[in-house]
Amino acid sequence: MTPRPIHPGAWIAWATCAGAVAFVTTDPVYLFLLWAVSWFVYTNHRSDTDTARSFRIFLTGAVVAVVLRTALVFFGTISVANTAFSFLEGLRLATILVIFGTFNAVTDPFGLVRIAPRHFHEPALAAALALSIAPRTVASVGRVREAQRLRGLTVRGARSLPALAVPVLERGMDEAHTLAESMDARGHGRGRRSRYRPQPWTAASTAIAAAAAVAAATFLSASAGGWAVLHPQTAPLVWPAADPALIVATALLAVPGLIRSRRP
Amino acid sequence: MLRRPVAAALLVGAALAPVALPAVTGSAPACAAATGPHAALVIETGARDLRLCVALDAPTVSGTHLIELAGEQQHLSYGFGSGGQAVCRLAGVGPEGDDCFADYPDFWGYWRGDGHGGWTWSSTGAASTTVGDGDLDGWVWGSGDAGSTHPKPPSLTVADVCTAPSPSPAPAVPASTHAAPATTTPRSTAASVDASAAPSHRPSSPARSARTRTASSSALPSVVAVGAADQGPPPVSGLPGPGLLLAIAIGAALAGGGWLRMRSGRHRDEAAPP
Repeated sequence: MTPRPIHPGAWIAWATCAGAVAFVTTDPVYLFLLWAVSWFVYTNHRSDTDTARSFRIFLTGAVVAVVLRTALVFFGTISVANTAFSFLEGLRLATILVIFGTFNAVTDPFGLVRIAPRHFHEPALAAALALSIAPRTVASVGRVREAQRLRGLTVRGARSLPALAVPVLERGMDEAHTLAESMDARGHGRGRRSRYRPQPWTAASTAIAAAAAVAAATFLSASAGGWAVLHPQTAPLVWPAADPALIVATALLAVPGLIRSRRP
Repeated sequence: MLRRPVAAALLVGAALAPVALPAVTGSAPACAAATGPHAALVIETGARDLRLCVALDAPTVSGTHLIELAGEQQHLSYGFGSGGQAVCRLAGVGPEGDDCFADYPDFWGYWRGDGHGGWTWSSTGAASTTVGDGDLDGWVWGSGDAGSTHPKPPSLTVADVCTAPSPSPAPAVPASTHAAPATTTPRSTAASVDASAAPSHRPSSPARSARTRTASSSALPSVVAVGAADQGPPPVSGLPGPGLLLAIAIGAALAGGGWLRMRSGRHRDEAAPP
């Protein structure tokens, strides 16, 4: 029996909770653990090459974010403490990017529109469009370049930009048009819409969402209650704290990586 | 190979905008109205107690700017470190250089008054706190990484410091006149240019973390300082705790598992006909 796909709601819960965890801490132990968790989840649920490419883009963006944020130190006083502090801030930003990239790679943003309540359909659609714009652009850039290569066009450097931008923009317009037509055909915007292949909420979805919620709750309680160090001191620089409870909580976010699923 | 750098740059540009903007917009213009808002600055060096009533030049200022204003109005001497983010030196007490923890375990503890005589240990650095009309900021020189162990300022209200809400920035307490005039040394005037100014550098960072676990195990100063020769004496030498090893083990397991799956997935893709 093929495993059933994971409900998009479970992915939203996972991404939100993982993002919340990354948001409340600058401790590199938990942040790097979140990178490993994201990678583990991504390798289990990635589907096609387009989303794989978007994950790589987000990974690149994350690394650049760390480097740039650290480089900002050079505009001020350069010291070990300053550099470490900036690095950790950049690392937090990068971790959120990686989580977002994972979320993008494992879900179908338009699957999210389907599960939105009727009254929130339009905001959900706007959110799905916004969420999917990066991976769709990346995918379409890849296709255009592939087509160029097939035709023996090897444009390099800055001159390749117009040759790339025009078809990509055209493609984006086409896609938006197709989407609008298909939505119209299904009765969107007229108050009635069909539930076409409703997606079941499975036990696996419950497990993912619950584990993620426990992880986020643990970190938020540590942040609010202050029973663990979430922001390691940088002046003087010391080894970052690693609380076993928080490590286990972070590891809980890897639950989706253990669950087999079929892409919707 | 243009698309990846371009996309990455766009992403990062968008992501960094909120970080960089506050640094660019800088501080408010100096327009200290004679009848403007006032805040109290309470400083305990251990030898002297300063009670300064400071006129604010904006509805709200940061904790560090309050000190700068006290320097302008009452000749308080001070020195900031870590790119203007941390408070190193007040009224002649504290380390001279850029490292505010050079005299650790003694450092300037930062307290926020609640307006009724009580004080709470600040969880953020003075560069990112908000001081408004009638607020109290307290600085106490001493040791103790947490609010429970660091010496606390005495119970005071704004009315005690700013005896009358007089328009002039009255030197409320004679002690302030002793406060070493003409040695005002703002260490880093480039603080507003410092792009890292957006989040605080948390001068009270050790305290903040230790507030949460005063007596417990693996945390703060009980660990070794890494490669920080200029950071003063390391609090206590030691190795990273078992938690770090656990984290490394779990992280390696996850990363390795994902890598193995990636490899086997590739083999499967190659084996399977499309």
